[in-house]
Parts: sequence; structure tokens; C-alpha cells
Amino acid sequence: MNSENNRRTFLKGIGFGSVLLGTMQYGLNANDESKKAGKAPHFGMIFDQNKCVGCSDCEIACAKVNLVPVGQHRLYVDDQTNPLHVKDRRFVRISCQQCVDSPCTEVCPTNACHKDSVTNIVTMNADDCIGCKYCIVACPYDVRFINDETHAAENCNFCLGTNLADEKEPACVAACKYDALVFGNFNDNNSYMNKLLDVKDSVRMKPGYGTKPSLRYIPAIKTGV
Amino acid sequence: MNELINYNHGFTDGIGWHWPIAVYLLLAGISGGALIVSLAIRYYKNQSENTAVYKSAALASCGTILLGMVFLVADLTKPLVFWKILINYNVTSVMSIGVAAISLYIPLTCLIVVYAFENEIKTWFTFLTPLLDLLQKIRTIIEGATFFFAIVICAYTGFLISVLVRFPILNTSILPALFVISGLSAGTASVCIIANKFFKEDRHSSDMQILHKIEWPIMFIEIIFLTMLYVSLVVGSAFAQAGLEGFHEGTWANVFWLGVVCVGFILPLFLNFFLGKKIAHSSSAFYISAMSSIVGVLCLRMFVIYAGQIFSI
Repeated sequence: MNSENNRRTFLKGIGFGSVLLGTMQYGLNANDESKKAGKAPHFGMIFDQNKCVGCSDCEIACAKVNLVPVGQHRLYVDDQTNPLHVKDRRFVRISCQQCVDSPCTEVCPTNACHKDSVTNIVTMNADDCIGCKYCIVACPYDVRFINDETHAAENCNFCLGTNLADEKEPACVAACKYDALVFGNFNDNNSYMNKLLDVKDSVRMKPGYGTKPSLRYIPAIKTGV
Repeated sequence: MNELINYNHGFTDGIGWHWPIAVYLLLAGISGGALIVSLAIRYYKNQSENTAVYKSAALASCGTILLGMVFLVADLTKPLVFWKILINYNVTSVMSIGVAAISLYIPLTCLIVVYAFENEIKTWFTFLTPLLDLLQKIRTIIEGATFFFAIVICAYTGFLISVLVRFPILNTSILPALFVISGLSAGTASVCIIANKFFKEDRHSSDMQILHKIEWPIMFIEIIFLTMLYVSLVVGSAFAQAGLEGFHEGTWANVFWLGVVCVGFILPLFLNFFLGKKIAHSSSAFYISAMSSIVGVLCLRMFVIYAGQIFSI
């Protein structure tokens, strides 16, 4: 009698328990979905290697808009053309990859290097930077530098304080005559960038570091045999 | 790594952190190591008096950590706003945690100096006697806290650079342990020199015997840790292989094999075990082997900072 009671209680417990856990699970999932619906922006950029001709208009526009000192760059276009195949010219954009798990913001001791609270873009508060260079050595892509004029560390922040504040596209994207650069919001399903990513094969630079970079590269590949 | 698209040269031309950081790492190691060793002897022998070893460790740790701060601040590009690091904290940053630990550790080392030179202070500044008597009541707690923070300081210098994912030599789990043990080695050597030179401690006194004896196990563990680091790179991925070249190519490979291995390990071993008792017990052998330990640890820090940054993918 006693043992049967115990079994019954046990089964009841299992039943109620699973209902309870199920509801909790559902509740938590619903919470997740509502977060997604809230859609904090996640800005990213595509560099299409097939379209880039290496004119460096993007570099010039960037330096002009962001007041980058002469001889320094927030972005530069690397010529990777194989000297043996000069007809097959290849260029690569090198700039901040805007990682989702960004080591620079994690190591900055003064929170000068931070993610913008509205746009989530990795950017710099030059006043709070003391120039310890920790972010520079922590960056797996080696794309940060000390600005010779402000003496603070700096990176490409998609023109956050300049063009983006004026609701314009980043200077490099606006300057590109060949549409090799596309800027957009990953969390906006209607953005041209997302539509392009749906149809093109793209890769991330050095994904092995596990920092989830937000730049996508469409590599030039040989057509035919 | 992604083979479709890549690049090899970034914005810093290889090196972001230069020699002042390596010197700072050495000084922080000496500071922590000296205190760990001397407090351990104090606990082990149940000492209550201020021995020459205790006094030398107090001076060494306080002096080196303060000098280290000078190097650290001088290396900033904006040294005049260094105070911003004291008011802004980022819990995910090892540097921030280190700053918090150092701002507790420096006052603690100053207190240890006060304890160590209690009698001298009492004779010179009689009016401070009541304050010193008051401080004496919390001495056990202060010493315990100092012991703990000395280990934290040594270890944090390792964690500080082991989080840098781009560099195969730095991004290893053994680095904090290696830095603690090499800090102990340099700290022991500094205490030996200061105690003998400035406090006229006999080279064969009981405390010095202990320092002399623990020197060899410390060195042995250091060699083992270095071997582990080396082997982990040998058997590692392409990323680790890139770091391994640092041990075999360029100036810093020479710094490692000549500075760390020959001067740091072989020279003291040779002087103390292979040339007979007469030389091993001589004053010059004592100083040379202590100095070579410190130079070896300096070379290790320089090697780790420079070869670590140069040899990466």
C-alpha cells in the first residue's frame, strides 16, 4: 500500500515536473524570440574581391572624413597580386573586422575601447584612452593603431561619429565606384547586404580566432578549369 | 585558418609592446617572488624578529614594484592621463584586475617595509612609536594578505600576456605558471644579494642556506615549464609551429639559448656543482650565480615579449 502510494506520487511528480519544465522552456524561448524581434542592430560590411580594382579611393575618403593623420590608415587595400599572374589582380581590404566577441573591448582597462550602446559598433573614446596598447596586441587582426595626433588607439568604426551620424553610408562605401563595398545591418532582413549574402558565397577573415568578425569577404575564384 | 582570403601584415609591423613592458614584467616578478620566498621562510621557521632576509625582501619588493610602475606609465602614449586607469574598471580586462591588485599590493609592500624597519623607525622617529604598536596588532593579517597578493602579482603578469590570441608563444596556459616560478627565481636571487651586500648577512647563515637550497628546485621547475612550453609548440598546430620558429631563428633565439639557458641555468649550475667546493663557496661565485639568475629571467621576459610578438601568423 505504502509503496504503491509512493509510486503514484512519483509518477505524479514526473507529470507535473515535465509540464512545469516544458512551460519554463517555452517561456524562456519566447523571451529569446522577443529579444530577436527587438533587433539591436548588427552592422557589417561586405568586400567583394571580384569587383575591387585597387584604386584606393576608399582609403582616401576614409582619411578625409575621419581626419586620420597623414601616413596612417584606418583601412588599407592590400595588393595581393601574384607577380607571376599580373593579369589576375587581387586586392584585399584590411580594416577592423568589427568582431561580435571583440578582444579589444574585453581587454581595454579603461573601457575607452567599447561597443557603442546604440549601434553595437566597436569604437573608441579617445579621451579615456591612456595608450597602453593592450587592445592593439589583443586584436587578432592587427588592425588597430595609435593615432599620431590624439595619441589614442583607433580603429575603423564604420564612420560612427561622422558619416553614420549624418545618416550617410561609411565614407569608403560611398567612395567606391565599383560597388566592391556593401554596408548594412545583419538584423534587418530587407537589407541589401543580407540579400547579397543569400546569393553569394562569402567567408570571414581568420575565423579560427573565434571572435565572430562582422566583415564578409567574397573571394575571387577562378572560373572554368 | 581560412585559405580563400587572408593577409599577413597588419598595422603594427609586428610589435606593439616593447622592452619597457619586459622590464616591468621582470620587476613585478622580482617584487612578488622576493616577498613570497621571505614570507614563506618566516612562516616555516616561525620567526618573529626582523631578519636580514625579511628586510631585504621588503626593500626589494617595494623598490622594484615602484620602479616597475615608472616603466609601465612611461610606456603609455598618454602617460599624463594614466590616472584614468584607476577610476575606470573593466572586469573582463586582466590589466584592470592587475591594476586593482597592484593598488592594494603597493600599500601592503610599504607596510611590510615599515614592519621590517620597525626598530630603526622607533629610534629615529620616537613619536611614531604608538602608531607602530597599533600596526603591530594587525601584522599577521597584513603579512597573510601580502603573501596572497604577491602570488597574484606574479601570476597576473603571465595572464596579462597569455590572453593575446594572436601570438602562439604567449597564448599558452603554462605562461602564468612560468612567470610565477621565474619570478620566484629572480626574487630569491635579489634577496640573496641585498641581504649579503647591505645587511651583512653571512652567506652560510641558516636563512641563506634555505634560500640557497630552494634555488635549485625552483630552477628545475622553471626548466620543466620551459620544456613543456617548447613541446606544446612542437606538437601543436600550424599556429603553434609559427611560434616555435622563435626558438630557432633570429636574434631572440640567441637571447633565449645564450641568455636564458646558458647564463640563467648552466652558469649557476656550473659554478656551484662542477668546479669544486672552494669555488662554489666563494663570494664571487655567490654574486655571479645570483646575478646570472636575474639576467636569465630578464632574458626570458625579453624573449617572451619580442619573439612572442614577432613569430605569429
